[in-house]
Amino acid sequence: MSASLLAQVLANGLLLGGLYAAVAAGFSLVWGVLNVVNMLHGSAIVLGSYAAWFASARFGVNPFLSAIVVGPAIGLLGWAVQRFVIQRVITAPVLITLVLTFALDLILNNGMINAFSADYRKVPPVTGAILTFGPIGLPLDRVLAAVAGVVVTLAVHAYLNNSRLGRAIVAVRMDRETSMLMGVKVEHIYAVTFGLGLALAGIAGCLMAVVFPISPLNSSGYLGIAFVACVLGGLGSIVGAIVGGIVLGVVESFGAIFVGPEYSVTVAAVLLIAMLLLRPQGLLGRAGYE
Amino acid sequence: MTGLTINGVTAGYGDVTVLQDVSFNVAAPGITAVIGSNGAGKTTLLRALSGLIRPNAGRIALGGAELAGQAPDAFVATGIAHVPEGRRLFAGMTVEDNLMMGAFSRRLPASALREELDAVYALFPRLAERRKQDAVSMSGGEQQMCAIGRGLMAKPKVMLIDELSLGLAPVAVDVLVDALTRLAADGLGLLVVEQDVAVAFDLASQIVVLDRGRVTRTGPSASVAADPAVRAAYLGEA
Ligand SMILES: Nc1ncnc2c1ncn2[C@@H]1O[C@H](COP(=O)(O)OP(=O)(O)OP(=O)(O)O)[C@@H](O)[C@H]1O
Ligand SMILES: [Mg+2]
Repeated sequence: MSASLLAQVLANGLLLGGLYAAVAAGFSLVWGVLNVVNMLHGSAIVLGSYAAWFASARFGVNPFLSAIVVGPAIGLLGWAVQRFVIQRVITAPVLITLVLTFALDLILNNGMINAFSADYRKVPPVTGAILTFGPIGLPLDRVLAAVAGVVVTLAVHAYLNNSRLGRAIVAVRMDRETSMLMGVKVEHIYAVTFGLGLALAGIAGCLMAVVFPISPLNSSGYLGIAFVACVLGGLGSIVGAIVGGIVLGVVESFGAIFVGPEYSVTVAAVLLIAMLLLRPQGLLGRAGYE
Repeated sequence: MTGLTINGVTAGYGDVTVLQDVSFNVAAPGITAVIGSNGAGKTTLLRALSGLIRPNAGRIALGGAELAGQAPDAFVATGIAHVPEGRRLFAGMTVEDNLMMGAFSRRLPASALREELDAVYALFPRLAERRKQDAVSMSGGEQQMCAIGRGLMAKPKVMLIDELSLGLAPVAVDVLVDALTRLAADGLGLLVVEQDVAVAFDLASQIVVLDRGRVTRTGPSASVAADPAVRAAYLGEA
């Protein structure tokens, strides 16, 4: 394998990883704070992609701009789903909330298949430009999408650490009962966190739409990416989602070269199993949410 | 003089009743200490007094506001701060972030928040030196200062402290006793659960003895401390 090919594959992986960070961050946040494995996450990303497609086809607005509206809108939907549905079983064992979000996922996914059909749709290129660095060529759209993915994820991280409500979210994750002693209304934090998680999913969906064709069939793949990145980086950690997403992107990119792109899901799954067996606390060494 | 009134409180976990018909007052300003052996229900009492568990019966009132049956945020907003057993600082957060969490319920503008932080740092200068440090990386005594500081950030009328001195070095206990004495002189009401009865008698003006979920004795420190039955049970004197 030549050095230039190596560099190209690495660059592709990093760009993929930036998107994966955004795909995983909201999922990780919800798992860490609510102890809910949100099976709805993948379909919420696809919903974001469709919204971006709609904005592009109908109004000619590119996904980078429509994300500004789509993210909060899907976030609001998430807030309501948590507040009025999931909250009712939030104290039940994690299996119950998993089944509940799985059922919600089936409803949303089935709705999207009926509304949009399972056919693939594509948003036209935003810039269409190719950046070249010596032998490496990178589509500018992909670079912008990856950078946006990481920037949005870091912005959420900064918000969690530097705002009153953000600190309360972190506090609930650390110690629910003690946060109640601070006057935090836990059910309010849960709804806000779930909303934030789905807003991130919606934005990730817009960014994915820049790069990949859109279909409801993508949702389980996105959920898988979120799962693996989350386990790689450590549950509930936003920085962990970035690290996990990038590692997964790079591994997948090399996997596509060495074992073939048709095995990318297998490569990700093997990575997941290896992590669980060898380093269940994640690459950063932070313990997950028990 | 206002304070916390506890009247006929019965509480527990599920079907298990721990507290039976508990009644006493916590004066504010003033320091009241609760003593009692392991499992007597001291922690359960404080959990009921901060709304973490709902009493099955009885009244909990602060300055005319009836609180029994309400959620913890109502207790905090009315003026009760609870420094829990084991301190329960937020791990991974700095000392200052922990203190700011204490003021969560107050929605202070940045400048007012700064003043409140400075007041806590004036009380515990050690915390000022360590403001940017992970709170749980400090010594036990410093962590207790941080937990008490976090409680003060809620601007309570009455503060509940569970196991003030447990596991702490004697010098650290002296610093804490000193600080609490000053806070009470400035108007705060304190209800302190204290395993070390010598510390309890020294710190508090009023003592409440809790035995298997019931209040068996209340009174001024000096008279409770002189009671032969109390000395036999809690100081191991024959
Ligand atoms: N979460 C719980 N569920 C059920 N029972 C509990 C729970 N917490 C405490 N208990 C029981 O309630 C009783 C009183 O416990 P509590 O912790 O209030 O005692 P304590 O006086 O604080 O003891 P210690 O001195 O050990 O801190 C004990 O019998 C205990 O087993
Ligand atoms: Mg106790």
